[in-house]
Amino acid sequence: MAVCIAVIAKENYPLYIRSVPVQNELKFHYTVHTSLDVVEEKISAVGKAMADQRELYLGLLYPTEDYKVYGYVTNSKVKFVIVADSSNTSLRDNEIRSMFRKLHNSFTDVMCNPFYNPGDTIQSKAFDSMVSAMMVQAS
Amino acid sequence: MAQCVQSVQEFIQDSFVPMVAVLCSEDAEKVTRKNNLNFSELLRPFCRLTSEGHMRDPSNQLQVVKNLRISVNNVVTRPSVPSSGVPGHAHRRLLSEVVLTCQPAEGGVANVITAGDYDLNISDRSLKASVPWYSDWRDTLTELSTSKHYTATTPWFEAYRESFLQSMPASDHEFLNHYLACLLVVSSSEAVPVEKFLKLSQEQHRIQHSGEYTNPKWFIPNTLKYYVLLHDMSQGDEQRADSVYEDMKQRYGAQGCYLLKVNSRTAAAGADEQIPDPWSQYLHKSSLQTPVVVNNTAVENNVGGTSEVDGHDSEEKGSLDNTHPLQLDTPSDTPGSLDALRAVAVETKPPPLTTGVAAATSHGACLTLNDHDRIRLFIQEFTFRGLLPHIEKNIRQLNDQLVSRKGLSRSLFSATKKWFGGGKVPEKSIAELKNTSGLLYPPEAPELQIRKMADLCFLVQLYDLAYSCYHTAKKDFLSDQAMLYAAGALEMAAVSAFLQVGAPRPYPAHYMDTAIQTYRDVSKNMVLAERCALLSAEVLKSQAKYSDAATLLIKMTSEDSDLRSALLLEQAAHCFINMRNPMVRKFAFHMILAGHRFSKAGQKRHALRCYCQAMQVYKGKGWSLAEDHINFTIGRQSFTLRQPENAVTAFRHILTNDSQQTSTQQGAFLREYLYVYKNVTGACEVALPQLPLPCINSSATRVYFGHERRLAEGEKQAATHVSLDQEFDRDLAAMWQDLEEQVVAAAKRGVVPATFQSTQCCLNSQTDNLRFPLAVVEEPIIVEVVFRNPLKVPLVLSDLSLLWKFTLKDFNRPQTQEDSVGDAVPISNEKEASVPRVRVCVTFVSINFFCLIPLCLLPQARLKLLPHQTGQLNILGLVYNLGTSVRGRQDLEIQGPRLNQTKEEKTSVSHGPDRRLDPTITPPMPLLEVFFLQFPTALLCGEIRKAYVEFCNMSRVTLCGLRVASTHPDFFTFGSSSLATPLTPLSPTSFENCSAYKTLATPPGATPGSVAAVTLVSEGDFGSGTGLRGGVSGAGTGGKGITEIPLGEGTLKPGESTQLPMWLRGPDQEGVHEIHFLFYYESAEKGGKISHRVLRHTVFICASRSLSVRATACRSNTLPEEEEEERNGSMLVFVDVENINSSEAGVREFHIAQVSSSSKQWRLHKCINPAEDKDCKLTSRERGKLCFRATRCKPLQAEKYTFADLSLGNELIITSTTPCADFFFRRCQPLESLRPPVAMETQGRHSRSQGVGHGGGDKDIAGVVRKCNEVDLDIIILWKAFVVEDNKQVILEGQLHVALQTIDKEACSLTPKEEAQEMVLLKFKPELPPPMTRPSMEQLSHLIKTNLQYPESYSHPFNQKRYLCMVPVTLTLSNCSLAQVDVIIDLRHKTTSPESLEVHGSFTWLGQTQFKMQLGAQEVMRVQLRACFLHAGVYNLGTPRVFAKLADQGAMCETSQQTATPALIIIINST
Repeated sequence: MAVCIAVIAKENYPLYIRSVPVQNELKFHYTVHTSLDVVEEKISAVGKAMADQRELYLGLLYPTEDYKVYGYVTNSKVKFVIVADSSNTSLRDNEIRSMFRKLHNSFTDVMCNPFYNPGDTIQSKAFDSMVSAMMVQAS
Repeated sequence: MAQCVQSVQEFIQDSFVPMVAVLCSEDAEKVTRKNNLNFSELLRPFCRLTSEGHMRDPSNQLQVVKNLRISVNNVVTRPSVPSSGVPGHAHRRLLSEVVLTCQPAEGGVANVITAGDYDLNISDRSLKASVPWYSDWRDTLTELSTSKHYTATTPWFEAYRESFLQSMPASDHEFLNHYLACLLVVSSSEAVPVEKFLKLSQEQHRIQHSGEYTNPKWFIPNTLKYYVLLHDMSQGDEQRADSVYEDMKQRYGAQGCYLLKVNSRTAAAGADEQIPDPWSQYLHKSSLQTPVVVNNTAVENNVGGTSEVDGHDSEEKGSLDNTHPLQLDTPSDTPGSLDALRAVAVETKPPPLTTGVAAATSHGACLTLNDHDRIRLFIQEFTFRGLLPHIEKNIRQLNDQLVSRKGLSRSLFSATKKWFGGGKVPEKSIAELKNTSGLLYPPEAPELQIRKMADLCFLVQLYDLAYSCYHTAKKDFLSDQAMLYAAGALEMAAVSAFLQVGAPRPYPAHYMDTAIQTYRDVSKNMVLAERCALLSAEVLKSQAKYSDAATLLIKMTSEDSDLRSALLLEQAAHCFINMRNPMVRKFAFHMILAGHRFSKAGQKRHALRCYCQAMQVYKGKGWSLAEDHINFTIGRQSFTLRQPENAVTAFRHILTNDSQQTSTQQGAFLREYLYVYKNVTGACEVALPQLPLPCINSSATRVYFGHERRLAEGEKQAATHVSLDQEFDRDLAAMWQDLEEQVVAAAKRGVVPATFQSTQCCLNSQTDNLRFPLAVVEEPIIVEVVFRNPLKVPLVLSDLSLLWKFTLKDFNRPQTQEDSVGDAVPISNEKEASVPRVRVCVTFVSINFFCLIPLCLLPQARLKLLPHQTGQLNILGLVYNLGTSVRGRQDLEIQGPRLNQTKEEKTSVSHGPDRRLDPTITPPMPLLEVFFLQFPTALLCGEIRKAYVEFCNMSRVTLCGLRVASTHPDFFTFGSSSLATPLTPLSPTSFENCSAYKTLATPPGATPGSVAAVTLVSEGDFGSGTGLRGGVSGAGTGGKGITEIPLGEGTLKPGESTQLPMWLRGPDQEGVHEIHFLFYYESAEKGGKISHRVLRHTVFICASRSLSVRATACRSNTLPEEEEEERNGSMLVFVDVENINSSEAGVREFHIAQVSSSSKQWRLHKCINPAEDKDCKLTSRERGKLCFRATRCKPLQAEKYTFADLSLGNELIITSTTPCADFFFRRCQPLESLRPPVAMETQGRHSRSQGVGHGGGDKDIAGVVRKCNEVDLDIIILWKAFVVEDNKQVILEGQLHVALQTIDKEACSLTPKEEAQEMVLLKFKPELPPPMTRPSMEQLSHLIKTNLQYPESYSHPFNQKRYLCMVPVTLTLSNCSLAQVDVIIDLRHKTTSPESLEVHGSFTWLGQTQFKMQLGAQEVMRVQLRACFLHAGVYNLGTPRVFAKLADQGAMCETSQQTATPALIIIINST
C-alpha cells in the first residue's frame, strides 16, 4: 500500500498530492518533486520514435532509505507517482502496476467530467476515495 | 558545478607533495620575524618550482619533473590531529573558519545555467551585502580573484579541501606526508654558526630517532639535512657570512648547504616603495588563529550564544537546528525560536576592529624584489640539488632491496604463508575486521618498503612505477588482511592510475569505492575516507561521471560532521545540475539539505545562499508547501544574518500565497512575520512599510460623497438618496442618469449642455471614473475598503486610517500662475508628525478595531474624510495596525477599466485611469434634504392621498431652481403653480372631511346628476404646464415628467425649510411600483465647479385593485331637442363600473361620488340613469351601470378644456382644480404621446385642408372619416371607498379616468394587460410597412346618421272608403363628418330576403323613391316621405337605404349607411 500518491501535471506542478502521515507531508512533497527528475530522465531515455509504444509504467524511480518511489507517465505527460514504504516487502511490481492502472482510470474519469477544467487541482471526491483505498490506512 | 581553480591533475598533485621540515635557530627566527613571518612562511610563496627538474628512475631513464611543489613546515612535535581518525576540535574549527571566511565574491559574473525551463543563477550576488568583516579582507579577496583567469563557483569548498588536505595527519600506513628532508637554518649573526648547525642536526636526529615523539613522522631513517645560513643584509657582516658559508661548503658539501641573504631593505628606507605581498594569500588560511579573525567569527556565529563554531555546539543551538531538514517548525517550538531570534536582535554591536590587522597584513616589509628572487633561487637549488637527488637515491636503494628480495623472500614469504598460514588467515581476518588498527607492520617491514617506494615515486611524478608498486602492495596487504594498509594502497593505486600520462588503463573507480568503504566501515577513519572521496569525486567529475560523483559524495554525508556533510551535499547538488540532462530538482533538493547542514554547522550565510539557490527551482511552480518551507527558512536565516528586509520579503511570500498550510502553521508564520516586521520598522523610521495582509480588493473600493443619512426622523421620512448600503445596479444607474439628463435639459431650456456629467455620489468599479470626482468642502468623503483574509487565522486590524495627500487650491480666486505655484505644496499625512498641521485641511475618522475572520470577505471598513478647504485630494492608501503593534500601510491602487476603443488598445492590454480616489474639493454648494410626511406605502388604484414634503437647505449657500423628475410623473402633483381657480372658493368643510378635493355642497333640493356644473380650464394652468409647454412643441420626451417645485420665492435660504402639500394618486396598475424621484437644485451663486446637485428618492407603492370602469359612447338616434342649436351634438355615454377590489384590502364598499367629463369638444350633460338610488354603491364584485348624455361644447370653448361635473352624491367636487385636474392632465400626457403620430398629422392636415378646399388623397379621406367617428371625451369617475381599518371607518377617495376616443368602442380605465406581447415570435425579416390606411367600410358607414320621425301609432278607418292609409314620415339626415357628402336615398330598395317578400302587410313608399343630395359639413336635412299602408298592423319603417360617399371622391362608390334601428309604426283600424 502506498504512503503517498501524487498526480503531476505536464508542466510539473502538482494536481493532486495526498500522503498518509500528515505530519510529514512536506517531506513527501520534496520526494515527489525530486522524483520528477528521474521521470524526465526515463522519458527522455526512450527515443522519440519509440515514444508511442512506450510503456507507461516507469517502474522504480529510486529507492530512498525509507521509501520506494514508483512512476507512471500517461501519454499526455501527466505523471503519477506512488511512494511506498520500503519495509513493505509484500508489495510486488504487479500490484504497483495495477495501482497505477486504477489511478489512471480514475484520473481519466476526472478528466471526462465536463465541469473539470484541465489543469486545475483535482478535487473529485470519487478520485479521492479511490486514492484513499490505495493508501495505507493510518491507524 | 563547482568549477575549480585547478585542474584535477594539478589538484591531486598538489594534494601530495614532498614534505620538508624546518629547524630554525633563535637568531634565524629573529631575522625572519622582521617580516612578520617565520622561516617556513617566508618560503611558502616560492615553493612551487617554475622550472623543470630531471631525475633518473630505477631503470636509469631520465624523467622530467614538472611543476613540482614542495611543502615546507616547521617541526611541530605535538600531534595536531589524533591519529584515531576523528578530527580534533582545533582542526574542525580551523576548517569551519576557512569555509566561513570564504564567501561568494561580490559582483562576480553571474553564472546562469539553463536547465530545461529553469534558469538558475548559481553564483547569485544578492546575498553578499553587508558582510561585517568584509572590508578587512577586501584586499586579499580581490587579489585572489584577479590573480586567476576565472573564479571558482564554490571557492569555500576548495578552500576547505585545501586546508583539509594540508592538515591531514600523518599516519603510519602511508608515507606521503612524512618529512623527506629537514632544513637546518642558522643565522650568520650567530657567534659560531657551525656549532649551531651541529646542535640543530643533533636535535633533528633526536626528534627522529629517540622515539620520544610520534610526531612528526619521517619518511626515511636517514633524512636529508640541508644547512642554510641565513644572512640579514641590513645587520650582519656580509663577508663574515661568506666566509662561514665557505666553511660550510667544506663541511657539508656544496650541495648540502646554502647561504640565503635576506632583508636587504631597511624598514625606514623604502616605505613608499610598493612591494608585492605574495604571502597574504597563503597566510590568511593558515593563520586564522589570529585574534582578529576569531573576533569576527565570533560575531558572525553567536547565534547559539557561544563562539564555538563546528558541529560540537550544535546540541546547544536549540530546536532550530535539531529538527529534521524537511520539517517545518511546529508551532510548539516557535516560542523558543523566537527567543533565539530576539537574542540575536539584541546583540547589534559592531564587531570590534583590532588594530593588529594593519600589522598582520604587512608581510615581508624588509624584503626587496631581489630578496624574493634569492629565496626562489634557494628553493630551486635546494630541490634540484638536494631533494631530488636524495629521492632518486632512495628510490634506487629501495628498488634494489626489493629486487634482491623478490626472487627469494617474496616467493618464500608467500609460500610459507600458503603452507603454514592456512589456518591463520581466517582467524586473523575476523580479528582484523573487528579491530583493524590491531595489525601494525613494523616500520621496516618489507610490505611497507614497497609502499614507501611507491609513495616516493608518486611524489616525484613517476606514476607508472608508483602504480605498479601500489598494486603489488595492495595485493600483499590484502593477503595479510591489513585492511587499512590495503585501502591506502588501493586509493593511491587508483589515483596514480588516473595520473598516468596517456592513461594506459581506465580509472579503477571500484578501487576507490573499496577504499572509502574500508576506511569508513572497517577503520572508522572518516578523515581518510573523506580524503579519498574528495579525490575520487574530483576524478569522476573530470570524467563527466557526475551521477557517480554525486552518489559518492552523498554517501559521505554523515551525522558526525555537519560542515562536511553540507559541503559535500552542495557539491553533489552541483553534480546533478552538471549532468548531461541536468537534474534541476535533485539539485534543488540537495541544496536544501546542504543548507540545512550549513545552518546546523553555524554557517548561516552559506545556508541562506543554499536555500536561495534552491528557491529558484521551487519558486512559482505550484509546490506551495515546499515553497513555504524554503521561504520560511530564508526568512529566519536572513533575520539572523541581519538582513531584515530579505526576511520580511520571504515571510511575506508565505503569507500572501494561497497557503495550504494548516491554521496553526499559518498562525505561527504570522507571528514570526509580525515579529520580524516589527524589528524592521523599529530600525528604520523613514516611511511606513507596506504590509501584505490582509489583501485589499482595491477595485472593489467604493467612495461615497456626502453625509451618512438617517432615513427616518420621527414621522418624517428622509429621501433615500444613495447610500453605501445599496448595491450598484446598472439599469437603475442608467435610469437615474436619464432622469437627470431630462431635468437638466428642462432647467437649461431644453438643451443638455455638452459638458453634462451625471452626478455620481457613490463611485465603484462599475461607474465611470474617468474624471476627477467633485466633492464639496465640509462634506464628508467616505471610503469603503474591501478586505480579504487569505489565511485561516483571524487577523486583527486596529487604528485604521486613510493616507492622503492634499493640494490646496482656491477656486474662487482667479487662478494666476503664482497662486497655483504657491498653493501647490502638497500636504500629506504620511508622516504622523505632520498630522496637527494637516488637520486644518482634512479631518479623518479612523476605525479603532477591526477583526478579519479567516477566509472571509469583510467589506465593512468605511473610513471618513472631512475636507475643510478646497483643493485637490488624493487618497493614497491605508494605515493600520496589524496584530497588536505592527503598524504599516497598504496603498490603494485602482486600475481603470481595460481600454477597448482603438485598434492599438484592442491588441494591447492597456487600462484607463481611475480617479475614484482623487476627488477635487470644491467650494460649498447647497445641500438639500427632503423629508416626506404622511407618505403612504399602499394605495388603491386611482386613490388620491395628500401628503407633505419638507425641503430643507442644510448648507450655508442659498438654493434655487428646485425641480423634480420622476419615472411616474402621474403619481404625484404639487398642485398648479398659479392656482388660479377663482371659480372655486375654498369650502371649509372640505378640510374637515380631510378630503383631498375641493368640494361644494350641492344646493339642497337639486336632484343629483340632473345638470352638470361646467367649468372651463386651460391646460397650461396646471402643474404639468412647464413640461408640457416644452413637450408640446415637439420633443415630447425631453420635458415630460419634470415638475418645478413651487417654493416661496423660488429659493431656499441657508438653513431654511419649507413644507409643501403633495397629492398622490395610486397607480392604475395593481402591484408594487417602484417610483423614483430626482430632485434637482442649483446654487444661487453661479459659476461653481458643480453646476447643479441632485437628490434621489425611491419609494415603493403597493397598489391594490379598486374599480374597473368601462365606458362606451354611442350616437344617440333620437332627434335633437328643439332648443338645441348645435346640430347632431348629442351622444350617449354608458359607464360600467365594477368593483374588482379583493376583499382583503378591507374595503367595504365603493361609492361613485361623481362623474365628470373633460374634453375640448364634449361635455356630460346630464345623467339619464333610470335608477332611483342616486348614490351608486358597489360592494365587492358588484357591477353598476351609469348612463349619461353628452353634448358638444360651444365652439368658442374649443381651445379650453371643459370640465363638467355630475355629482351623484350630496356634494360637488370641483374637478377643474387641484388635484383632480392635475392628475387628469398628467394622465393625458402619456395617452397623447401614445397616439400614433400619423393620426396627429392627418388631423392637422385635415383642418388645414378644410379651409382651403378638399385636396384629396387617401389619407385625407381616412382622416375625415375617422374624425367623424371620433369623440375626444375623458370621463373622470370620482369614488369614495369605505374602508374599515382598526375598527374605524375611513373614507378613501380616488379618481379613475377613461378616455373615450371612438364611437361605439369600449374604453377601459385599466389598460388591458398586454400578455401577448411577451411571447412575440422572433422576427428575422424586417416587418412589412403597414398597408395604406384606407377607411374601412365600417368606418365609412358612419358618415350619415339617419333618423325617421313618425307618429308612433296612426289610426285609420280602413273599412270606409279610403283603403289606403298614408302616413307622413320625416327622414332626418345629419352629416357627422366635416366634409361634404353625397347622399343617395333609395326607397325602392327592398330587403333581399325572400321571406320578407312574402310578408303580408308590407307597405310601400309613395312619391319620389330616390333622392340625391349633397350634405355640407354637419348639415342636417329633412326629407318628407309618405308611407302607404294597406292594412292595420305593425310595420317596420326602417327600409330606406341611405348611401353616402364623400363629395370629392368621384371614383368611390357609395357606401350603404348603417341602418337605423327598426322603426316600428302601429297602424290601427279606427273603425
